[in-house]
Amino acid sequence: MALNALEQQALTDLDLSRARPFRLADRLGAVRVLSVGLLILAWEIFGRDVNPLFLSYPSAIARATMQLLTAGEFQRQALGSLQVYAIGLSAALLLGIALGLLMGRYRLAEYILDPYVYALDATPRVALIPLLLLWFGLGPMSKIAIVFLSGLFPVLMNTFSGVRTVSASLVEVGRAYGAGERNIFAKIILPASLPFIMAGIRLAVGRALIGIITAEMFAAVTGLGALLIRYSSALATDKFFVPVIFLAVLGVILSHAVELWEKRLAPWKETERAL
Amino acid sequence: MATPTDEQIIDELGLRRERARSIYDHPNLIRAASVLCFLALWEVYGRRSDPLLLTYPTAVFWAAIQLIRTGELLRQAAVSLATLGVGFGVSIALGVGLGLLTGRSRVAEAVLDPHLNALYATPQVALTPLLMMWLGLGFAVKVVIIFLFAFFPILINTTSGVKNVSASLVEVGHAYLASERQILFKVVFPAALPFIMAGIRLAVGRALVGMVVAELFTAITGLGAMLTLYGNLFETAKMFVVIVVFGLLGVGLIRATQALETRMARWKETERANR
Repeated sequence: MALNALEQQALTDLDLSRARPFRLADRLGAVRVLSVGLLILAWEIFGRDVNPLFLSYPSAIARATMQLLTAGEFQRQALGSLQVYAIGLSAALLLGIALGLLMGRYRLAEYILDPYVYALDATPRVALIPLLLLWFGLGPMSKIAIVFLSGLFPVLMNTFSGVRTVSASLVEVGRAYGAGERNIFAKIILPASLPFIMAGIRLAVGRALIGIITAEMFAAVTGLGALLIRYSSALATDKFFVPVIFLAVLGVILSHAVELWEKRLAPWKETERAL
Repeated sequence: MATPTDEQIIDELGLRRERARSIYDHPNLIRAASVLCFLALWEVYGRRSDPLLLTYPTAVFWAAIQLIRTGELLRQAAVSLATLGVGFGVSIALGVGLGLLTGRSRVAEAVLDPHLNALYATPQVALTPLLMMWLGLGFAVKVVIIFLFAFFPILINTTSGVKNVSASLVEVGHAYLASERQILFKVVFPAALPFIMAGIRLAVGRALVGMVVAELFTAITGLGAMLTLYGNLFETAKMFVVIVVFGLLGVGLIRATQALETRMARWKETERANR
């Protein structure tokens, strides 16, 4: 910022310093890096003193990662989990959106289905895992079922409330111009409730991830959840952290991906709010 | 000639005064019919299928009576609710406390939020084996798991609530020479309360999931342990009793927090209505 001569004069006369005093709040990025660096360093130093059966330390985890990746075991199990996850989640999205549209648009469908939807939505889905294992066995089917159930309700509930908030005047204009039920669905209701649907998908992605890991941990046969149980039972704490970190990264990537997708598909939501 | 009143026009044209009767006038009737049909079908079909895999409503009812009579259900439910209460209480205390801190101080936020974000991104179920290794199978591990599940929604909502407090409110406080403590408790906290309550409402469902997960894996006491036990014994009717109890708990807890939210954060609605 340029100062005029008078202001310069005043600054020198009063002997004011032009630089702002040092404040930690101006160096937030550095504080962040320092905080993470110190934690990792402390973990490395103290972790080496703790019994390795209970706590590992960062360099040991890095070594374990390399070891598991070269053995190929990790990739195989991760791929298995991701396949199940993709199948279950796609089914949940398809059915959730379809049922949500149906229940939002037709009151008869709403009244027939909503007792079940509310009841199942309130029941923690993890509680169904033992039952689903009983019904579908230890194979992929029971895991697909739990991913499906975990992902279904957030999508369904959000689609339902999205359709119900579609302004009646939009639908009436459609009617007035002679649009059929099909056109009203595809060209008015679906686009208007898309922001809600996308928010539901964002919730579903996280819930389904929790669902599949819990199911795999409980059955403890295949997948990343089974690896977690296997390594913790073997007290191989360094290996245990590998799937944990992978899952954390996966969680971040998935939620960012959905957010990006959300912005592309439903950009008007933000503009509308800004107005 | 006097203009005819509405009444006269209706009489003259012979219009009906009542609305045509519609099935939508009694939505609860449709709901009841739907549930009854489902239960009847389940009863008929369930009696014909293998009792190890599928049960039927009357069997579930008798199993419930039996479990209540022996006192097992109530005893285990009391254990579960005690852990849930402690875990949830700790999450509220720490979540609100840390949320106020990170919302008020940018330095505290920069120090803490990389770690908190990393922990939040990790599906918390994945940490249960490690926690069991550290803390054993008792009360403490369940409390910590419930805490991990419920803590983050409260923390995140409190932080964003505090950040959303209008700067002019805080400035007025400063102008009247309020201390930082008074600003925190008399300005920031009440202003952030609607956000905090929304976080608590989100957290209660997750706390319930945490409770089920903790009990499924430790499988010694509580409702989740009953689920595992009867699953292993193929006593499907008793499993359903526990699942229904979880459903009722879910509905009850969510309703209770909603009621609390409207009581404690009443001005949120009024403020929105005034704008």
